[in-house]
Amino acid sequence: MTAPPRRITLGAARRPVTAGRPRPVRRPLLGPVLALALVLGLAGCGPDDIGDDPDTLRILAGSEVKDLEPMLARSGVKVKISYTGTLDGAEQVAGGGADGKYDAVWFSSNRYLSLIDGASARLSTQTKIMASPVLLGLNAAKARELGWQDGKATWEQIATAAREGRFTFGMANPASSNSGFSALVGVAAALSDAGEALDAAQVSAVTPELKEFFSAQRLTAGSSGWLADAYTRQGGVDGIVNYESVLLGMKGLTLVYPGDGVVTADYPLTLLASAPPEKRELYGKLTAWLRTPDTQREIMTTTHRRPAVPEVRPGPEFGPAPLLELPFPNRRAAADRLITAYLDEARVPAHALFVLDTSGSMQGERIEALREALVMLTGADRSASGTFSRFRSRETVTMIPFSGGVGTSRTFKLPEGDPGPVLEEIKGYAEGLGADGGTAIYDGLRAAYSESLRADPKHYTSVVLMTDGENTDGASFEDFRRLYEMLPAGIRPRTFVVLFGESDVEEMNKVAELTGGAVFDARDSSLAAAFKEIRGYQ
Amino acid sequence: MRRSIGIALALLLGAAVVVAVVLGNGAGDPAIVRGVIGSEKKPFFDDPRVRAAFEKHGLRVEADTAGSRQIATEVNLDDYAFAFPSSLPAAEKIRKDRGVTRLFSPFHSPMAVATFEPIADVLARAGLVRDSGRGYQVLDIAGYLDLAAKGTRWDELPGNTSYPARKRVLLTTTDVRTSNSAAMYLAMTSYVANGEDVVTTAAQVPEVAGRIAPVFLDQGYSQSSTEAPFEDYLVMGSGKTPMVVVYEAQYLSRLFAGDGSITPEMRLLYPSPTVLSKHTLVPFTEQANEVGRLLTEDPELRGLAAQYGFRTADPEAFTDLAARHRAPIARDLVDVVEPPAYDRMEQLITAIERLYADGAVPQAEGGS
Repeated sequence: MTAPPRRITLGAARRPVTAGRPRPVRRPLLGPVLALALVLGLAGCGPDDIGDDPDTLRILAGSEVKDLEPMLARSGVKVKISYTGTLDGAEQVAGGGADGKYDAVWFSSNRYLSLIDGASARLSTQTKIMASPVLLGLNAAKARELGWQDGKATWEQIATAAREGRFTFGMANPASSNSGFSALVGVAAALSDAGEALDAAQVSAVTPELKEFFSAQRLTAGSSGWLADAYTRQGGVDGIVNYESVLLGMKGLTLVYPGDGVVTADYPLTLLASAPPEKRELYGKLTAWLRTPDTQREIMTTTHRRPAVPEVRPGPEFGPAPLLELPFPNRRAAADRLITAYLDEARVPAHALFVLDTSGSMQGERIEALREALVMLTGADRSASGTFSRFRSRETVTMIPFSGGVGTSRTFKLPEGDPGPVLEEIKGYAEGLGADGGTAIYDGLRAAYSESLRADPKHYTSVVLMTDGENTDGASFEDFRRLYEMLPAGIRPRTFVVLFGESDVEEMNKVAELTGGAVFDARDSSLAAAFKEIRGYQ
Repeated sequence: MRRSIGIALALLLGAAVVVAVVLGNGAGDPAIVRGVIGSEKKPFFDDPRVRAAFEKHGLRVEADTAGSRQIATEVNLDDYAFAFPSSLPAAEKIRKDRGVTRLFSPFHSPMAVATFEPIADVLARAGLVRDSGRGYQVLDIAGYLDLAAKGTRWDELPGNTSYPARKRVLLTTTDVRTSNSAAMYLAMTSYVANGEDVVTTAAQVPEVAGRIAPVFLDQGYSQSSTEAPFEDYLVMGSGKTPMVVVYEAQYLSRLFAGDGSITPEMRLLYPSPTVLSKHTLVPFTEQANEVGRLLTEDPELRGLAAQYGFRTADPEAFTDLAARHRAPIARDLVDVVEPPAYDRMEQLITAIERLYADGAVPQAEGGS
């Protein structure tokens, strides 16, 4: 299991990062220059940095609980948190990779995790800390236009409006984010005729309805936090699907509470069965503190999450009626089938443009790492998260290599059915990448943006820029900026930058900031992990 | 500066540890006895009064929670001084596996159903809930199984305007593969599905399991420990959990505590038939033996157990509390059936487990 890539952002001192929802209160303090840093949040150290200390509870957590970290300082228990993606984390725990390295895990839900064979034996006590349903937040004007200003609509009505093209929305990728997965489960359960939990056959039956629903999705993200910030900064869609807690922390949104049901995150802080007695005691202390009425009230007022104990009643901001909870699949096959149906059939297909540094400095290990990272995306990573992050059916992939100039670009179109043969082609292409010559980063990037003008508008287009050094040839950043700004606003793709080797951090941050993308740092971790994580944003 | 504070703190902490060690060795600091218990007993063991009662006898009981079947099969019991599952069959299994001679069954609790008044009314109209005539309400399991077998949704029940959800009418339980309360529910439903008879032979298992499996599987994801769905019931209300299978004790402990978590709309129903959950402690050490003995015999601990809704060897403490809180309890349950023996129960659970697995072909190539 690879460590999550470290991401850094604007200019900043090197801060190891994973995607996280920033605490709303911090936003004004840090100011716009650090917007991207906020987008990605700050993370704890990688697993290698974690020494054990009997007084410290080591927690592997989803980025969603990041906003509670400051509060934990007052719990009286020393806590060290490392962040990871939901599915990656689930696989790590189920496979035993968390045993001995961590004492507890804290994701927004244990549901998917529990479906993985062998996972339940690795978990000990589970304690719910708070709750937040996944909802649709629409800008107030659009909500009025659709007649949902009172927050009342069903997923069925929402799906109808989506089919008719009456609104657009953003949602996190269900394969990388719990909020996206919860929404997908909720929508599928609500649109299905079944009153019980969906099985694989029912998922297939509801896929046509899902396709109509997701035709209105015009923004995707690898995390719910990044999604919220991308929407806040750039808009571009009429609303987003996210946790109630995130939506309540944003301005100008009408929260739509689907009357036919929701899926709620319950944030169980979970002791690992492998934790030694002294850590169990720390766990007991921490959970007891988190569930005291005072802490629960503080969580409710500062993070907009619903309390987990009956002694504290939710405030009026959470809406009056009890929310109907939709059944969640109890078989892994159904859950995985649902994600697969989303990726291969329901979602707007992706067009991913990879701008790849093949300059002389990439020779040796580096070009080998790049080949490997790309090969992983053709299906070589056989874990569930690897399978979900590979190139998918209906997707278009364009490779644009550059060195002293732009090389020959090549486009691969994956068919609706079996993607195998095209995946093989991409694999062959990746394995044939060589390294020689200078570094004309912006020529490469300009080629990608020119290419994107020819992209199918029915695809969701985005750019990955991977480079290991400074720009030595061709166009400058300013030249790129001019080209970028000439493009019509509606069709300018985001660029997700991968830092590698001796990347010019400051300029790479500018690229991400200009295009509304993000920066992923693979300098101290694996390029493959960075590419895999970026897949959530494509 | 900061570093010097750190050093000072470290020194202080070091001193504290030294003091603790000295005290621990010298003046009877309570001995820590760590057990693994069903989650529904956790609040009892965490109660400061319970802790104080144990400390009077030089013991400090620390408890981790796990589902009873997990305790019997998956949990590494070497880490613990005792196991305290919520059923006698699970305890018997552990006793056999570990070669323990003594068992303690200090308290028991019948299985019950927690719901809400509007839902009980809807169920009454559908003929599933009736008044016992003795101050409590009864849920007819046979009628419920019929309704569930038809795939009935809430919005299809006649005259149901108060809970018109497009969800199946299903009791919420824990995961029958891990948790005792679901296994107890399995005991009562299997009795009905077996023609009002306890499942006693392996030959009866396939048909009975097939008949009752949908009331587990169709719920979708179920949680592994009993406290979780009951808490959902208390916190999130009828939207998530319109009716949930609980130990009577879970409901009553909240009612007796008077903490406001049982709202006026909430209702306790007794399934007909029901089963008794005999919470049974299996000690692995001498100190754990003492824990078991105290729970069974110590009047103070027995009184506290009653406050947590458990029925103990001292029925008066329980009935007094119930009378004081006007709890709609069944004093003497008549329609109680015995759960199948451990092996039959295991066969039933395994049969249902197999049905879970049938749908669980790993999608990921080369997956787990």
